[in-house]
Amino acid sequence: MRNTLLGAAVAGLLALPAMAQTVPEGYPASYKDTIAAAVKEGKVVVYSSTDAAQVRPLLDDFKTLYPNVTVEYNDLNSTELYNRFISEAAAGAGSGDVLWSSAMDLQIKLVNDGYAQAYESPELKALPQWSVWKNEAFGTTFEPVIFIYNKRLVPDGDVPKTHADLAKLLEAKAAEYKGKVTAYDPERSGVGYLFVTQDAAVSPGARDLFRAFGKSGIKLYTSAGAMLERVTSGEHLIGYNIFGSYALTRSKKDPNIGIVYPEDYTLVMSRVAFIPKAAKNPNAAKLFLDYVLSKRGQTLVANQAELFSIRDDVAGEATAKAVNAKLGDKVKPIKVGPELLSTLDQTKRLTFIKQWQQAMQGK
Amino acid sequence: MRTSFPRISVILVTALVVLAPLGLVFYQSFLDNPFFAPKIQFTLSAYEYVLTDEDFHSAFLNSLMIATGMTAIAVPLGGILAFLVVRTDLPGRRWLEPLLLLPVFLSPVVLAFGYVVAAGPVGFLSLPAEAWFGFVPWDIYSITGLVLVAGLTHVPHVYLYASSALRGVSSDLEEAARVGGAGPWRVAIDVSLPMVMPALLYAGVLVFFLGFELFGLPLVLGDPQGILVMSTYLYKLTNLLGTPSYQLMAVVVVALVFVTFPLVVLQRTLLRQAGKYVTMKGKGARQTPLKLGGWKWLALGLLALWLVATVVIPLAGIGLRSVVSSWGRGVTLADQLTLAHYRDLWEYPNLIRGILNTLGIGVIGGALSVACYTAVALAAHRWPSRWVRLLDFLVLVPRAMPGLVAGLAILWIFLFVPGLGYLKSTMISVWIAYSVVWLAYGMRLISSALLQVAPELEEGARVVGAGPHRVNLDVTIPLIRFGLLGSWLLIFMIFVREYSTGIYLLGPGTEVIGSLLVSLWGTGDIDLISALSVINVAMVGVGLLAALRLGVRLHG
Repeated sequence: MRNTLLGAAVAGLLALPAMAQTVPEGYPASYKDTIAAAVKEGKVVVYSSTDAAQVRPLLDDFKTLYPNVTVEYNDLNSTELYNRFISEAAAGAGSGDVLWSSAMDLQIKLVNDGYAQAYESPELKALPQWSVWKNEAFGTTFEPVIFIYNKRLVPDGDVPKTHADLAKLLEAKAAEYKGKVTAYDPERSGVGYLFVTQDAAVSPGARDLFRAFGKSGIKLYTSAGAMLERVTSGEHLIGYNIFGSYALTRSKKDPNIGIVYPEDYTLVMSRVAFIPKAAKNPNAAKLFLDYVLSKRGQTLVANQAELFSIRDDVAGEATAKAVNAKLGDKVKPIKVGPELLSTLDQTKRLTFIKQWQQAMQGK
Repeated sequence: MRTSFPRISVILVTALVVLAPLGLVFYQSFLDNPFFAPKIQFTLSAYEYVLTDEDFHSAFLNSLMIATGMTAIAVPLGGILAFLVVRTDLPGRRWLEPLLLLPVFLSPVVLAFGYVVAAGPVGFLSLPAEAWFGFVPWDIYSITGLVLVAGLTHVPHVYLYASSALRGVSSDLEEAARVGGAGPWRVAIDVSLPMVMPALLYAGVLVFFLGFELFGLPLVLGDPQGILVMSTYLYKLTNLLGTPSYQLMAVVVVALVFVTFPLVVLQRTLLRQAGKYVTMKGKGARQTPLKLGGWKWLALGLLALWLVATVVIPLAGIGLRSVVSSWGRGVTLADQLTLAHYRDLWEYPNLIRGILNTLGIGVIGGALSVACYTAVALAAHRWPSRWVRLLDFLVLVPRAMPGLVAGLAILWIFLFVPGLGYLKSTMISVWIAYSVVWLAYGMRLISSALLQVAPELEEGARVVGAGPHRVNLDVTIPLIRFGLLGSWLLIFMIFVREYSTGIYLLGPGTEVIGSLLVSLWGTGDIDLISALSVINVAMVGVGLLAALRLGVRLHG
């Protein structure tokens, strides 16, 4: 608390000489009013499912750009973020000014339920069409959903290049890979459910792969951390449907992690951000959202936070550009839009889970 | 009765603080939508769903099994260790005591993770064992492994209750038995054990509750086999329908409350005649350590074995993890050594704030909570009344709510009760949440200390004209000061370790290590997690040593 007060006081002092902030290049001149209003608001409250540690370069740079707007960054798990937001919204109490979460379906539900305000961001034209819905929900990243494997223990010849390879490997070397493959549990993890239903929608062979998982005694987890750690240690050998961003971060620190972008198709997820209608600091929220989507922000998203930039004009390993160059039309982005609502449909959900459970028994 | 008014008001305040979140959860369990939704209907469908769900049945049975198993391990072992350390001439007991308490400092997620690194399928203990036997002779992911780990790591909870009770007991009865020719074992069973029975019973009931509420250990150790317990079943429920379904979660909490109710009744029956346990009489509590003789080495061996299994192994695991960049099969650890994780830690202001806040809520928050708990315990003290029976139940109720749900319910209170909103997202709200959730815990420690104060001491003061407040201030509180100190220590440790309650109140300025660990666990930064945990352990270890020093000085 004291930190926030202190921050506000310091920001107040800095405001005196800084005064008028320059409008970013290519933005309409009227943007200076947004900046002025944001400076008056003084802060933006961000609810995010991304670790503060991971996006710190972004937050620091935002501070350099807008020294008079403090970012209050709340880092929560995606389910908690959703719970907290709807509770606070119902109470009419202050909540986040920007909601930024990896639970794409929950974000779309909030937008669909009318919690978001429309905003014509000056960055819109730089974004792919599939990543924006109603000018309310904005995809901010381009994170491939990938395989990981343990480089020490998986021989080169075994490394699966496609989903079908993986199914074949589990059949051909059943004994070696028994209990050695890991994935999110779609019954216990929302994002795990999202990924496997996308698999089923994109690939006709998905059911066979799931059956192969079932026969191989796949180990299912609820957290990316658990899976990454257990693949690097050799407790498991291959991880399925892992966030490319977390895997890339980890592989930079630990050369034992190998990453495969499946060549038959690679799902791409995007962290969805929106500005709530009831945002107390809507102008500061716009500044933050625009910054995250801007070339400057996305360059850090790609090269410092390793969250994969969604813009075509950002270069580096963790960018849409690089992923598209590598895979071409095999890239299957999960569209930011009302289609995601069907993953929350209860009847469909229970039906899918039942099929999944059967596949887990090898049926 | 003249004293009734202040007593009743304290009990009523407690009732309000406890029942508000619980009432909300009960109410929610009968609805078809979140209670704050614009359209809600009363229905029993949530009950219908949960009670006929097979996963609920298996989760309930698993929880029951784990709670029973761990109570059966923790209570006898905790009692024996307390007796050995407090009552006998066991070599090195002074410096063993802080080690005995160590498992409590570790967030169970971290503890469990330490076990994975050390004794998991490719742990640094398992790989040599595999090379030796051809297979790994243990499986920490099985339900037996889970019970064993949970039981061993909950020994300190029992130890604290038992040792605090034993400290208040004069040793003349034990000496008399020893002089009469009884061996140390016989003395322990026939003389010491009955005297600390209330403490052990309370501890047993609480460990059983904790077993039902267990979250961190099954989250990590039960994950690979998909072993569901009540708290991880809540997770599954959340995800089942896509969006969190509060009514289903509420039903699970109601079910947990129904488990606790018969236990409270049982406990009251067992303790109906608390008078027979009075041991701190109007005579000095002189203590002479019991000579163990040749038994000494066996006792030391037992203690060492427990220490290795419960402290050394997981701590070595997490400690090792914090200084290597990789581990497991095919890794030469010596090539992986690094201090980078610690250096990284200091770059993140939110983690640093988390460390400071954790210390603050432990030391200051802990002391404030003990003060509140003492006020509540004194309100019930020596007052045979229906109000007190109500209170006995009340204090146990919040513990029945898993921390995560309690945290959410408390957030709702701050949100929907007018005038409380400004407290939300301050450390005050976190403190209130912690105090409510751990009410039973602190209260039991204080009331088992109070049970040992003989009524004649207080009556004596009253006869010479002291009012009830004066009796409390000048007689009762000074007599239970060791109990209070122990209680403060316990609460300090619990608050520092707590990880699920604060999650919904987390924000800039209210970071605590526990919530940060949970948040980091989801996305995989185990480098930071392990470094943060080691710092947490070290920090609390220093705090504990300082407090023990203080305690030792108070003894003399």
